[in-house]
Amino acid sequence: MKSTKPTVGFYSITGCAGCLLSFIFNEKEIVQMTKLVTIVSFPFIHESAEIKEVDVAFMEGLVASPEDEEVLKEVRKKAKTLVALGACAHTACIPGYRHFVPKDSYARLMYEKLHKIKTIEPGPIDKYVQVDFTIPGCPPNKREIIKSVVNLCLKKQLKNYTSPVCVECRRNNNRCLLEENRICLGPITRGGCNAICTNSHFECWGCRGPTDDMNLPAFIELLEGKGFTKRDIRERIIAFSGQKNPKVLEVLP
Amino acid sequence: MAVYVLKKGDLEKFLLFLGKQGELIAPVKKDEVRFEPLKDPTDLYLDEQTYIPAKQYFFPQEQVLFTFQDDMIIPVVAPIKKRIFFGLRRCDLAAIQHQDIAFGEHNDPHYKKLRKSTILIGYQCTKKLHHWCFCGSMDLPDFYDLMFFEQEHHYQIDVGSAQGETLLKKSKLCRKTVVRISKEQKIVPDTNLLQRKDLGKHYSSKAWDSLVKKCISCAACTTLCPTCYCHEIKDDVPVSLKEVQRKRTWSSCQLKEFSGVAGNYTFRESRSSRFKHRIFHQLQYFREKHGVDLCVGCGRCIKHCPPRIDFIKVINKL
Repeated sequence: MKSTKPTVGFYSITGCAGCLLSFIFNEKEIVQMTKLVTIVSFPFIHESAEIKEVDVAFMEGLVASPEDEEVLKEVRKKAKTLVALGACAHTACIPGYRHFVPKDSYARLMYEKLHKIKTIEPGPIDKYVQVDFTIPGCPPNKREIIKSVVNLCLKKQLKNYTSPVCVECRRNNNRCLLEENRICLGPITRGGCNAICTNSHFECWGCRGPTDDMNLPAFIELLEGKGFTKRDIRERIIAFSGQKNPKVLEVLP
Repeated sequence: MAVYVLKKGDLEKFLLFLGKQGELIAPVKKDEVRFEPLKDPTDLYLDEQTYIPAKQYFFPQEQVLFTFQDDMIIPVVAPIKKRIFFGLRRCDLAAIQHQDIAFGEHNDPHYKKLRKSTILIGYQCTKKLHHWCFCGSMDLPDFYDLMFFEQEHHYQIDVGSAQGETLLKKSKLCRKTVVRISKEQKIVPDTNLLQRKDLGKHYSSKAWDSLVKKCISCAACTTLCPTCYCHEIKDDVPVSLKEVQRKRTWSSCQLKEFSGVAGNYTFRESRSSRFKHRIFHQLQYFREKHGVDLCVGCGRCIKHCPPRIDFIKVINKL
């Protein structure tokens, strides 16, 4: 008898595999989850080159090589719903920083054999294919991944958390790091992470991408008033989510 | 009401006594000053305003309202601690009264449960706690079980309720006095900063624009406000699909998603409309509905606003 459970596949292109690891950290729930869904592909469990037809595909990583592009397009073709899993898929994250730096400025630092690797302009996956839902974060919140899977099974409409990190940060009674004259990107970054970095007194680097509602000019003015240069601010913003924040390049060329 | 006197040297003993009557919550300084359970009376810190107001004890950041499974609702059963608050300022106390009004309007059982069995002991400021204190403009009421007024060698304690007086008598540390608290003692100097006016006709004023331009929508103002009570309610569905928790969490009118409704429509799309909504709710709408301003003049929304948006000056100029 054919199972009526939805099928789910996890796939990985250029990235550190931390997003898949985040999913695995839900040890207890994964067992329960298999009652709701059938996992047909997961790179850590079973290495297979075959890309199967699935109801939902979770794609980790960014497109940085011609092979990445091929795999991504194949996954898209065979998945009814495509979910971008993690910051690389969502914003191109740290590997996407290459986009902002001319190659001659770092080429001399590269190992000889790295020059032979064929690369293309790094970019988030929605630059190449249509993405139905995004789970942001570097790494993504493990609860958020498992919740998305459950909600997809329940055919509930998925919704991203859109408020800035500051909301959860102050809800956790944290002292504001901007008050300590540190560049914290909390006000312009999407929350949903429960302010995990600022809870530990580490400033937000914006891994979950910019909020739709950010007031970038006011935020830059605020940081400049604290003595930071345009360059400091630009470097910080483009580090994790530059490709999803084109306004930065307009305001801070 | 009666007034009692406590020697300054006996304050620690009094706090130890309070600690035995229930969970004692008082301002404690770490990186910021917060209302926390006071383990050691020497940790008491009264020189600054608390960063976080006391509202989290009655209206927690996240609260499970009930759980449900299939068609069954399972209420949350948890023992409620008896709590004694010490060191609440006049603004903090008034804020609790205003939240009582807001949550009382619909007889909210979750708020009532936590608010019941608390004793509120205030501490009158003798000077401004920070530059933006404007409680002097807000006609704050006497709302407390007990209120401490600091004198050179002792505290005068104004009794606000029978339960407060019982507590004082039980402590055996205070003596009754014939001295009365004067009106002047209840007023903090230099805090009448805000000119109260009917804001209704100034909604479309261009004067708000200069403030809105600086707003980064971080919601610090509403999160740290002792009276803001807006929240969202969401279901937390576990993977087992059993025992779904319905949770209430703090939200903020400063966030775009807060006024979002089905059909992808947002009531307060622009930052300007959201900003004005906060000011008007605090200083106009609530008064129209309940006869008292929601705002208590604690000034946290200005002091902790990263770009320091000072609406007092703008309102005064209107």
